[in-house]
Amino acid sequence: MKEFVLMLIGAALVNNVILARFLGLCSFMGVTTRIDTAAGMGLATTFVITVSSMADWAVQRYLLDAYGLGFLRTVTFILVIASAVQFTEMTIRKVSPTLFQMLGIYLPLITTNCAVLGVALLLVEGHMGFLAATLFAFASSLGYSLVMVIFAGLRERLVLAQVPRLFAGPPIAFIVASLLAMAFMGFSGISTS
Amino acid sequence: MTPPIASATGSHTIEGIARVVRVEGLVAWLEPEQTTSCGSCASAGACGAGATGLGTVASRIAARRFPLDNPGGLTVGERVVVGVDDRALIKAALTAYALPLFAALAAGGLAQGAYGSDPLTLVAMLGGLGSGLLAARAGARRLDRRGDLAPRFLRRARPGETCHPGQEET
Repeated sequence: MKEFVLMLIGAALVNNVILARFLGLCSFMGVTTRIDTAAGMGLATTFVITVSSMADWAVQRYLLDAYGLGFLRTVTFILVIASAVQFTEMTIRKVSPTLFQMLGIYLPLITTNCAVLGVALLLVEGHMGFLAATLFAFASSLGYSLVMVIFAGLRERLVLAQVPRLFAGPPIAFIVASLLAMAFMGFSGISTS
Repeated sequence: MTPPIASATGSHTIEGIARVVRVEGLVAWLEPEQTTSCGSCASAGACGAGATGLGTVASRIAARRFPLDNPGGLTVGERVVVGVDDRALIKAALTAYALPLFAALAAGGLAQGAYGSDPLTLVAMLGGLGSGLLAARAGARRLDRRGDLAPRFLRRARPGETCHPGQEET
């Protein structure tokens, strides 16, 4: 149990997908102008990362490993991720057209989010069991969502702040992102004893 | 979408611009003008966010058409500002994504604890995901009935008004 908890903390905070592994930076800068859009994107990405990781684990174990097709891993995972996004879109549309109207806009962006492929490759390299792999993917995506929401909150405040004209807009956002990354480095000092 | 506007009741509204594409009696069908949540960038053609991307944007936008009561006599082609409560997006995302995900993880945890087998855990998680999606459908229907997710007509858009403050169309 302790191993699971440490793995969850490690995946979400210590080795954060955005601030430590530098994955998913496009959405990190592009969709964090408002907290609610960042949270919506974060939840959608969490869902897709977790579901596609489940599928990726099964494909790796029962197809690629079993038939010695490991060299096709990246291509296969991209296909699985695109299918997972399409599945999510079709399911949300079927489950509730209203929800699809509100949330469907995020889904095309997730297909090209490198965090999804990055997490899938990481969990395969970790040689984990199915539940551990799924929890690793879930924790990684929770860390992604957490950083998205925190950064969106900071950017909402930045809009109201008086910033020198030279730094207004993206420059000050990048500076804040670097400060946030440094703050997250503090998690690497967590003692596990 | 523009920043949230506080109402007299203290709640906030997220505003967006939509165009009237059809009028049926007292109901107007609107199509959102915002094409992407990221506003799309110079590399939009590569990521599918732009109109020249994977060719699915038009169908996605068409699929996002929504009905609105038409008390103000809106006509086809008019641009209007609509709004939803800012908590609606979070409620919708939690219902659609968090509920199925937690159901899947709970089912997987129980199966792993009971059998300790990866294939069975996988099957249990898929079952949990399906159950969670059914629960999400029920939750979405409840939100629909309460009108929590319904956009409201706020006003007609000004000429050149966009969903990005300070960036008027030329």
